[in-house]
Amino acid sequence: MPEVSKMKKPDVKLVLLGDMNVGKTSLLHRYTERKFKDTISTVGGAFFLKQWGPYNISIWDTAGREQFHGLGSMYCRGAAAVILTYDVTNWQSLAELEERFLSLTDTANHNCIYALVGNKADLTDPKAQLPQDSDPSKDQTECGVERTDTQVLSACPTPPASPASLSGITLQKQVTPEDAMALYGRILRYKGLDEKSSLPAEKMCFETSAKTGYNVDDLFEALFDLVLPSILRNRNESQQSPTVDLEECRGAGNKRAKSGCC
Amino acid sequence: MSVKAFELVPAVERDLLMGDKARINIECIECCGKHLYMGTNDCFIHHFLLDEVTSSKGKLTYSAQKLLHKYLGLKKPVAELRAASALERLIVLCDGIVFLVDMVTLETVPSAAGGGAKIRGVTAFCVNENPVNGDPFCVEMGVISSKRRTVQIYMVYEDRVQLVKEVTTPEQPCAVSVDGYFLCLALATQYMILNYNTGASQDLFPYNSEDRRPIVKRIGREEFLLAAPGGLGMFANAEGVSQRAPVNWSESVIGAAVSFPYVVALDESFITIHSMLDQQLKQTLSFRDGHILQDFEGKVILASTKAVYVLVPLPLERQIQDLLASHRVEEALILTEGAQQNIPKDKFQILHKRILQQAGFIQFGQLQFLEAKEHFRKGQLDVRELISLYPLLLPASSSFTRCHPPLHEFADLNHLAQGDQEKMLRCKKFLISYLGEVRSTEVANGCREDVDTALLKLYAEQDHDSLLDLLASDNACLLADSVPWLEKYHKYFALGLLYHYNSQDSAALQLWIRVVDGDLQDSTRSGLYEYIVDFLCSCSNLDLVWKYADWALAKDPTIGVHIFTKRPVCKDVTDLNPEDAITYLGKHNQALLLYLEHLVLERKIKKEKFHTHLAVLYLERVLSLLSEVPNNEECLTRARERLQALLRVSNLYRAQFLLGKMENCEQLLLERATLHGKLEENDKALHILVHKLKDFSSAEAFCVWASSSRDSGYQQQLFHLLLEVYLDGNLPQAAAGSGDLEMAAVDLLNRHGEVFDAARVLRMLPESWSLQLLRPFLGRAIRASMHACRTSQIAVGLAQSENLQLLHDRLKDRKKPIFVSEKKGCHLCHNTFSEPDVVCLPGGVPVHTHCVAQRVRDSPTKRQLTNSSNHT
Repeated sequence: MPEVSKMKKPDVKLVLLGDMNVGKTSLLHRYTERKFKDTISTVGGAFFLKQWGPYNISIWDTAGREQFHGLGSMYCRGAAAVILTYDVTNWQSLAELEERFLSLTDTANHNCIYALVGNKADLTDPKAQLPQDSDPSKDQTECGVERTDTQVLSACPTPPASPASLSGITLQKQVTPEDAMALYGRILRYKGLDEKSSLPAEKMCFETSAKTGYNVDDLFEALFDLVLPSILRNRNESQQSPTVDLEECRGAGNKRAKSGCC
Repeated sequence: MSVKAFELVPAVERDLLMGDKARINIECIECCGKHLYMGTNDCFIHHFLLDEVTSSKGKLTYSAQKLLHKYLGLKKPVAELRAASALERLIVLCDGIVFLVDMVTLETVPSAAGGGAKIRGVTAFCVNENPVNGDPFCVEMGVISSKRRTVQIYMVYEDRVQLVKEVTTPEQPCAVSVDGYFLCLALATQYMILNYNTGASQDLFPYNSEDRRPIVKRIGREEFLLAAPGGLGMFANAEGVSQRAPVNWSESVIGAAVSFPYVVALDESFITIHSMLDQQLKQTLSFRDGHILQDFEGKVILASTKAVYVLVPLPLERQIQDLLASHRVEEALILTEGAQQNIPKDKFQILHKRILQQAGFIQFGQLQFLEAKEHFRKGQLDVRELISLYPLLLPASSSFTRCHPPLHEFADLNHLAQGDQEKMLRCKKFLISYLGEVRSTEVANGCREDVDTALLKLYAEQDHDSLLDLLASDNACLLADSVPWLEKYHKYFALGLLYHYNSQDSAALQLWIRVVDGDLQDSTRSGLYEYIVDFLCSCSNLDLVWKYADWALAKDPTIGVHIFTKRPVCKDVTDLNPEDAITYLGKHNQALLLYLEHLVLERKIKKEKFHTHLAVLYLERVLSLLSEVPNNEECLTRARERLQALLRVSNLYRAQFLLGKMENCEQLLLERATLHGKLEENDKALHILVHKLKDFSSAEAFCVWASSSRDSGYQQQLFHLLLEVYLDGNLPQAAAGSGDLEMAAVDLLNRHGEVFDAARVLRMLPESWSLQLLRPFLGRAIRASMHACRTSQIAVGLAQSENLQLLHDRLKDRKKPIFVSEKKGCHLCHNTFSEPDVVCLPGGVPVHTHCVAQRVRDSPTKRQLTNSSNHT
């Protein structure tokens, strides 16, 4: 039997987890193909290899359907980051994360980082409805400005020309960022992690829209930056193990020789 | 979908196996090289020889020849067969017993003396294809026992089996596969990986083995393919990690195998073929009563209950070509790149390049130029393949022929565009940008002429600005091919540039001249005439210059003369002999004048001939203007100013000759005066200025410039001469205006008093002049003379004092005191001195006077020496 060819070996693994129909595949599509398209329910799982500078990052998109639930822990095995995804318009999708999906992450790396991502923000939040620029740095600054603006102007009615009113539908938001942050705290506790030494909830809870691209690049790039230490550690380990440090050996040898003398 | 990746080829037909015995079914198969073994439900093993036959059309068929069949005597179906070819044994599972039979005779191998060759109570076993134990004459086997929750590891030898390890499992296993130390097991409710050496285990995922038959298939080093819930084919490695995305089977998969890059799976009625590269379903083959799907040394064999088939993979290239034929570029590329490790490197590179090129052409046909370009670049496309799509772009002389088999389906661009002009235009624009980018890279190596010529043609046709840039820079455009093309699009200026680039300046000039003269139409370059002049100006071929300068001068002498005047002075350009140019310009008066001005005034060439010639031309111009009626005052003034300036400034022209030319012209008195001045006939000059012109200021100015480069004596002489002329009232013509002359004389004295010798002037002046009249002059003269007197007195005084000072210094230096005492001895007699009178020898050595006298008397030759310092 011929040796099955291996793909480029990924340096690190990210896994998207979450209930069905929260938009895991769409998030990945938006990030990798920069567009939003109709997806069908993911069967089993799929993965994408992202070249991030000199590193290969594999991003696994898992199936949310109950049917494939058993595979989740296998996908999570050895993961450096898990993106727990919910739908901001669906309270149950957040609850499912805690009930069904959190236990799947037991197989992840002990230093795995967890991000909570509320997708479909465009349905509840006018600021998430603006199409995002492709330039991520610009995005960040613009978003920042917008955010403060909306906070200040929150009392004012939405101006009629804004896309929010054009699209017509603004669904009831069922999950607030505070809910997500509270869950994040519980995740840390479940993992037995100290809240103070872990990444803060504000940094690890995102609201995104795969449809408009809102916050999507920020999410993935923030995570890539955070898993970089894992990548470096992986690389170091794979480099160190097969190498024999000659200096060390010689040093040890000398010691032995000396002790033998005396 | 619908890639044709595999073909189902019958291997053993029903007749051959069982004839008309309807109840006999195939239970298991094994294939080892050409040997095909089959186990049936009636406890027979059949042995066939399977030969591959390739027809003349390249179609593969199998011919099976039955060698032997053997009844095993257990009346139960033969559940599994595995060949251990190194041992020449078949490992058989039948009726829960594993035992060995000879591969050739199919006889059961009797147990050896040392141990049994049978294992009882077996439900399933597997052979380790990647054993840790390196012994080639034994086979490692994983065995599942029917009763205990254990997996046993056996070593199979020629005539015995030996238990080497036993590991317990948490549940009863029902399927097993092994690689190295890793057992991959299907338990009742889940899959797991178990390291039989360390006992370490790793749960994979839950699976209900009661509902669906589990599949555990080793597909490579430490990697397994498993049937997962929901009809998935999951990949898992020995660490329990999935490195590939799962493939989506149906729920009722019976068997699966990997034939890279495909996963082949069998269910009740279909064979499904998924790509491991993109997880997509690529092919479905209908297959009824499917029973077994297994791969043997890369060969995928299927069996229904009655017949055996081989799933023959189509050659990879054919699959890729099929994909490309249906314009599935991405899939074709994924398939190609995925196959990289299964193809020798050099062969892969050739294949990969070709696929990239084909992919590029498909995208090109779809006007996806960005993608097409990228694929052309990666595939290192011979750019002429692309050029050749465009009719007539490749030079007639190009040796290029399209690659065979063709990289694309297009005859040419017309075929591709189907008459859509917009499409055509976009393709052309793409080629322009593409060629522009590649022409300076290694892509164009070996076909630069073809590339540049094609680019030139496109530029010309599309009226593109870069045409001129192309031609003005280093290029390899073929002249023969480009000429008709440029002519067709009236790019005559560009054509001229091309001629020039090919060192055919004459042709270039002829063409451009025809454009300027209006014979040809090309508005590319405004100011083409000036361009031609510039061109001739720096043209190193003097014959061409002589040939076309006439035309240029006739067109516009003032600009045309730039050919001669603006010629850069450097080594690259052959220097033009001025004399030749002057002779040449003889018939172009104006140009000649400009050229001489250039030589004399700008380049300041010191040659009498040019200066005289220029002066004569100026003079002729003035004379001709003078003869005109009515006079054009303005022109005349300007012409005269020029003449005068030259006459004054230059010292090289032949003044006498010019003087002769204007001797009779009473209007050019000033010029004549200047000429006289040049000849140092100052009296004549001043005479003209004073008496004829009565232009006293010019007379004064004359004195100033005529003496400007001389000493003050000459200047004084000149001013005195002028004064004399003023005062010489005897001249009859001047009698009337003697008052004026006197005034002029007074003014002259008062203005330029300093240059005159006042004493001489006073002697010359008439007695009658009042002191008052000359007061400024006299005042200045007296002051000057006083000043001079005092200055010289001071100078004398200073000189005297300086002299004294020097004398003092000298004495001080020389005459140091010479001490004489009674204690000092004379150097000559060595007696002491008794009186102050001594003689000093050179060096201030005192001696007695008498001693010196004595010495002088004794040696007369030394008299000189003593004499010289004979004083105290």
